[in-house]
Amino acid sequence: MSSNLLRLKNLSKCSISSNWAARAFSTSAPRQVEPTIKNDIALLNPDEIEHKKKMQELITVEGTTNLAPISGVPEEHIRERRVRIYEPPKNCMQSGTSNIGHWQIDFDARERWENPLMGWCSSGDPLSNMQVDFSSKDEAIEYCERNGWQWFVQKSSLEKKIKPKSYGINFSWNKRTRTSTK
Amino acid sequence: MLRLTISRVLNEAKSSPKHLFVATRSQSGEVKKPEKIEVFIDDKSVLVEPGTTVLQAAAMIGIEIPRFCYHERLAVAGNCRMCLVEVEKSPKPVAACAMPVMKGWRIKTDSEMTRRAREGIMEFLLVNHPLDCPICDQGGECDLQDQSMAFGSDRSRFTDIDFSGKRAVEDKDIGPLVKTIMTRCIHCTRCIRFASEIAGINDLGTTGRGNDMQVGTYIEKLFMSELSGNIIDLCPVGALTSKPYSFTARPWEIRKVDSIDVLDAVGSNIVVSTRTGEVMRIVPRVNEEINEEWLADKSRFSYDGLKRQRLVTPMLRDKDGELKAVDWEAALVTVAKVIKHAGDKIGVIAGGFADAEALIALKDLLNRLGSEALCTEHTFPLDGSGTDLRSSYLLNNKIAGAEEADLVLLVGTNPRFEAPLLNARLRKGWVHNESNVASIGPKIDLTYEHEHLGDNPSVLQQIACGQHQFSKKLKAAKKPLIIVGAETLERKDGGAILSAVQSLAACTQPEDSHWKVLNVLHKVASQVAALDIGYNPGIDKIREGNLKVLFLLGADEGAIHKEDLPKDCFIIYQGHHGDQGANIADAILPGAAYTEKQATYVNTEGRAQQTLVAVSPPGRAREDWKIIRALSEIVGAKLPYDNLNQIRDRLDEIAPHLTKYGAVEGANYFKQAEQLSKNTKTALESQPIDVKIKELQDYYMTDSISRASTTMSKCVQAVLKQKQSKYSN
Repeated sequence: MSSNLLRLKNLSKCSISSNWAARAFSTSAPRQVEPTIKNDIALLNPDEIEHKKKMQELITVEGTTNLAPISGVPEEHIRERRVRIYEPPKNCMQSGTSNIGHWQIDFDARERWENPLMGWCSSGDPLSNMQVDFSSKDEAIEYCERNGWQWFVQKSSLEKKIKPKSYGINFSWNKRTRTSTK
Repeated sequence: MLRLTISRVLNEAKSSPKHLFVATRSQSGEVKKPEKIEVFIDDKSVLVEPGTTVLQAAAMIGIEIPRFCYHERLAVAGNCRMCLVEVEKSPKPVAACAMPVMKGWRIKTDSEMTRRAREGIMEFLLVNHPLDCPICDQGGECDLQDQSMAFGSDRSRFTDIDFSGKRAVEDKDIGPLVKTIMTRCIHCTRCIRFASEIAGINDLGTTGRGNDMQVGTYIEKLFMSELSGNIIDLCPVGALTSKPYSFTARPWEIRKVDSIDVLDAVGSNIVVSTRTGEVMRIVPRVNEEINEEWLADKSRFSYDGLKRQRLVTPMLRDKDGELKAVDWEAALVTVAKVIKHAGDKIGVIAGGFADAEALIALKDLLNRLGSEALCTEHTFPLDGSGTDLRSSYLLNNKIAGAEEADLVLLVGTNPRFEAPLLNARLRKGWVHNESNVASIGPKIDLTYEHEHLGDNPSVLQQIACGQHQFSKKLKAAKKPLIIVGAETLERKDGGAILSAVQSLAACTQPEDSHWKVLNVLHKVASQVAALDIGYNPGIDKIREGNLKVLFLLGADEGAIHKEDLPKDCFIIYQGHHGDQGANIADAILPGAAYTEKQATYVNTEGRAQQTLVAVSPPGRAREDWKIIRALSEIVGAKLPYDNLNQIRDRLDEIAPHLTKYGAVEGANYFKQAEQLSKNTKTALESQPIDVKIKELQDYYMTDSISRASTTMSKCVQAVLKQKQSKYSN
């Protein structure tokens, strides 16, 4: 209740103190706008209606879609490229795991060289920086199929059986896990 | 109150779960698995086995708790305190890595208390950590950097009012591979635990306590381990970094290409980091079935050998006996002419780095020319079933199986240096699984205790017929494992040794019928693929063949000399390094090293894996199978494959497992192999069983890549120097 009151108070303050707001309200109110006809079917011929209905329906195309002919990618980057579909493993240098657990594609590496002017890495390969993430292997495969690339799936075995760990085995007197150094 | 009525006591005794448990146990005759307990992590329920730590339980449902000292492959230390989390109704936060969960616990990994605890720990760590991230090699892939961003405070309370500077620690010199900047150390003790648990070297430890605590070797000495590079990966900060890689590249500017290591027969999975067409470093890639997440030093650090001693252009020996650089056309035409003249008097020796594609292309070419003289540089006995049955030349029980064994018998092998990661598995079994290891061969240090049964081959027979004290143990073992070194099978009586081992394996009684006792450990990456494709092991055919042309496919171990061949024999060498093979060659065709081609390798388990192109071959060097394909066209025996897919179809035709990447095609027919081995004519000789690589200094330089590496030669020097030191043991 109190908050409502507060809002009302603010509103009134606004309308009194600022003239521009009041003017905006007053000018917009009397303007007449031509009513738009939302349903234009009434104005159309019967055969036009028929045509429109057909256009709204979905067309099912048999077989897989191939985007390669219309994607504009040069022939050499469709036929000769080999796409690797893989699950990126954890970086062994770090313990974080947030950036893994998905599937990725990348292309075969082509020649790279050091730019003589700046020492930057150069490449003539437009696909060398293309890395696409997918949530599953099948999605990645479908994507490659649609683009007409040859692909292969790199199998990785990242699953580890979880064995309960214990702090105590460091000190167990009769096991080889006992540690002498610290 | 304390006294209970008799009836109540009796009633309780009847229904007590403890007694129930005993009753069920006695009925079924087997121990019942303990019931899973339910805990709630951030209000998500998870069922875990009793004894699971909070951190593990959280990991099961994908909640990651920050940590520095905890590592899933090392023992729990619980000293960094970064993993503190709040447990409901507990007054203090608990260390998630060391605390086992209790039934019904509600753990909050993102509560106010947890966040405050993490922030406090971060502050303590950063007080004594230098602010040198811009010049630190770990920068960009540093756990401390990341976690201070995610969990640290947004401002510093550290003011050095006395201008005394931060705590500083003297750097240690622990060898040519690992660079230490000890001021950055946060005392997580991961390196210490790795050294003592996995590498089996108790050299690292801590001295002093509190603010004066230091991690180090106490007296300055070399960290003498073949797995030393792994402590670089383990270090969560930049205290331990790679010496050869130091100040050369940043993690965000390198490109990472997954590949396979070929410097031993294990086939470790690696990531090759490159920049501007140059290999900057090699780090391991997780593969639970092969290398877990470790990598041996030779595989990790010999990459600088890929840049030295390379063959970058085709060469032909001129009249004065000097090798002169020529272009591909001249080289191929000359070589083709010689091959045409030779007819079927042509032979091949394949070396240790040959990939399956090159091997198959060369075999197809020679068969078209009417020759069958295709040999591998490394010998394998042909008596008995020879190489017809795969089970007699594979590490049948797989690398991961080594840690489950309860009794391991090593025959003429030193896995510590022939396959360091297999040895790490054996050590893991010895530590965690209480397995026992015995060895026949020279006295060696395997980093774990083992029984030495002598070096006489006749010990094998004694064990087989029950005269030896060890035969009882072998028979009683539930999961026995016999690992034979391929090097021992290269002896003259190799056939007899293999046959003795086969019969020994046959008389064991493993509990599980799928358990495979007989295992052969190879030393080079190409051998299994070559044998699968149908190469003859050993070069006897070459010596007898009276050849006119000898084609060396990366054969650099000096198995053959010019004197062994007819005087007019023309030697072609195809490979990537100017080593012994190129030395005797009349024509050189420069090939690609393993980082420069997409090629198939089969490891000692029989697992096909492929390398990927990380950098392009230097100069005019080309992929190996393409050179052979080009040559075949000029010779007039055109090979029917034009691209990688087609040649892999050909591989698939011969042996489908060669293109099933990542999977092991298991071998069988152990019984038949054992029966056939009884036909072996050779007898065991009395000459003691020996291995070539006994000590660490012998490990580093064993093939053309590692022989060209300066890092590896520095390692050899460092080890030799350490051996002379008065502190060496």
